[in-house]
Amino acid sequence: MDLALNDTQQLIQDSARDFVRGACPRDVLLKLDRDPALVMAGIWKQMAELGWTGMAIPEAYGGTGNDMTDVAVLFEELGAGPVPGPLFSSAVLCARILLEAGSEDIKKAWLPRLASGERVFALALTEAQYGWSADGIRLTAKSQGNDFVLSGTKVFVHDALHATDLLTAVRSGTGISLMRVDAKAPGVAVRALDGFIAGMSEVTFDNVRVSAGDVLPNVWDALQRAMLAATPVLCAYKVGACKTVYEMSLNYARDRTQFGQIIGRFARVQDHIIHMVNYVDSARWTTYEALWKLDSGMDATASVHVAKSVASESYMRACDYAHEVHAGMGVVREYGLTLHTKMSRSLYHCLGAPKAHRKQLETALGLVAA
Amino acid sequence: MNFAIEDSAEQSAFRAEVRAFFEKNIPPNLEHSVDPCDMSYEQYQLRRDLGRALGKQGWLYPSMPKEYGGGELSTDNVAILAEEMSKLELGLPPYYDAGGRMSAPTILVWGTPEHKKRFLPPICRGEVRTWQLLTEPGAGSDLAGIKSTAIRDGDVYVVNGQKMFVGSSHGADYSWTILVTDPKGERHKNLSWLMIPMNLPGITVTPMDLLATGGEGGSGSGVKNAVFFDNVRVPADHLVGGENNGWKVATTHLEVEHGGMGRLADRRVIYDFINLCKERHEGWAIADDPDARAELVDLYIEAEITRLFALRNHWLAHTNQPRTYEGSQYSLRRKLSGLDIAEKMLRIAGPLVLTKDKRWAPLKGNIEYFQRDAITALHPGATTDIQRVIMARRIGIGGREREKAANLR
Repeated sequence: MDLALNDTQQLIQDSARDFVRGACPRDVLLKLDRDPALVMAGIWKQMAELGWTGMAIPEAYGGTGNDMTDVAVLFEELGAGPVPGPLFSSAVLCARILLEAGSEDIKKAWLPRLASGERVFALALTEAQYGWSADGIRLTAKSQGNDFVLSGTKVFVHDALHATDLLTAVRSGTGISLMRVDAKAPGVAVRALDGFIAGMSEVTFDNVRVSAGDVLPNVWDALQRAMLAATPVLCAYKVGACKTVYEMSLNYARDRTQFGQIIGRFARVQDHIIHMVNYVDSARWTTYEALWKLDSGMDATASVHVAKSVASESYMRACDYAHEVHAGMGVVREYGLTLHTKMSRSLYHCLGAPKAHRKQLETALGLVAA
Repeated sequence: MNFAIEDSAEQSAFRAEVRAFFEKNIPPNLEHSVDPCDMSYEQYQLRRDLGRALGKQGWLYPSMPKEYGGGELSTDNVAILAEEMSKLELGLPPYYDAGGRMSAPTILVWGTPEHKKRFLPPICRGEVRTWQLLTEPGAGSDLAGIKSTAIRDGDVYVVNGQKMFVGSSHGADYSWTILVTDPKGERHKNLSWLMIPMNLPGITVTPMDLLATGGEGGSGSGVKNAVFFDNVRVPADHLVGGENNGWKVATTHLEVEHGGMGRLADRRVIYDFINLCKERHEGWAIADDPDARAELVDLYIEAEITRLFALRNHWLAHTNQPRTYEGSQYSLRRKLSGLDIAEKMLRIAGPLVLTKDKRWAPLKGNIEYFQRDAITALHPGATTDIQRVIMARRIGIGGREREKAANLR
């Protein structure tokens, strides 16, 4: 048993911390929040240069083939920002999907370009009747000769705004297929969603042609495996985010004076912060145990469902408690807490809400027949 | 990272050695009572025999130094030992003993070489059983407010007063006791710890009738007692950690008691309950109800987080890493999630969980006991509120980090 980071992971953590401190101070994060399109011109290039776009991709396809735990250590630090952008969607989730579901030709064609950061993939799966199960996928493609024609709408698509390519889930006959759609292809429109929401868009397809070579047919099982493997990395992002929200609150409680003393001396305030510590640690250890199981080839299904349930709830609740501690200052946008609050809500459902994962856990625990 | 208590070639050899040892040393007539209060004197003696056999190998307190009768086993081997014990429904130690769990690590930090040589080997070899005596009628959460005294009189301390919620069934050889040594002294600077032989004249032990035992100390402790001291004369060299330095010593002691060391293989009854709900009788299982399944999943997640906190603390403790809030965090979580899980069981399975009736009780009455134990467990070692106070201090929410615990093995 050893729950410490190894040397590689320490290095990753150090360089990620330097990056977040240097390239993503609060004013930059606030600017990116107001104008998300700036992500690609700025921090994306730096992240690619640091090799982060290739970490989850095997060496054979131009990446560095790191363990998922290594990748998670990076994302924990990015969550501390919270650093926005399509790194998770492209370099982890879609990379994993191509690995699990793609033919050798597709892997060879696209993974090296994902690894270099030249192309940015996003997964367009969810629709109006929101959900991450196969039931929620209604979009179909008409076949036309060797090609397909796609018309319809995907919504709440994470990181579509930055994507060069959209891995689009469609219903085909009895199964689910994925189609790689060039985001610049005629008929594709991406519209960022405004509001108390971060990084999500509506994507519409209007008679978009997809060639047969860009179709990954009948891949629901592979897609599920890929989502299962990528999920704990997203959880790690939430762990880092949770931790930052906790640290902000701790520092605030030690600084803020009311009734002639720092508010951290009041038991009620302490209780909020203790809840946050418990959320951070619950999310952390469920997440890293799931990652360890994945990396060591064990069945991680139940652990991933636990981790996603816990990490999603933890991040959201930690933000709630942070607002109780911060009161008015917490909702001043310039202060930065609301970046997290918004992110905690926006990522709550990503790759399945806690309720959905709990449902799947019923099966994983053998409470219902699979 | 590696979350597995993994068997390398060396470790599987150790596991085999442990199993062979048990094969030889576990008495065939060993019985398990669901409620530790029901354990007979004979059954207790069987466990003490097993303890002495373990002690001979250095396995009773396997992470203590060899010099004092421990085994200096690696983290993984300690875990293997605990795991193999738990498969036999036994804790490590296999009976309630505050001596090895709490006193010994504290004496290791605060005792003189003389104290260590005298007190530790009998504890580690399982020759003596020790109770811890802290709580009094007027001092529970406010430990520093105790009133029982130990007043120096030549070569002895004269002890007077009353302690509550003490120990277990079937007596003890020593009581590891915190007392006021300077009644006029400043709070926190007037306390000391004495290792009191229980055979001294003037000690009376009276059993208390409680809902359950709470089980903070490893194996369920059995019947709790009130202990009265009436002019008990204790040799002065039984005072450990320096006169009036007892509050600092208490910090080390409480760190261990508050779960600083982490407990593996705890509360198996929770996972057994999940399996129980899957069992099909005449075509019907508790888990067929979708509401029950949803609660079961929540219960499982609660249990998993608690298990992982214990695992983390175990790793921190046995790799000698600094800890601040983690001990209290685990203890708080174990208490609150225990209560929460008990309530979930009640909602899921109904009054089935409340009976120990021979015909109806599931899991031999273990669930009924858990219902009582989860409530009782809220107080031993410090209430949930006190655990929060400790966490807040250790984190330094009030502005500074206070009472940093001594580094423990």
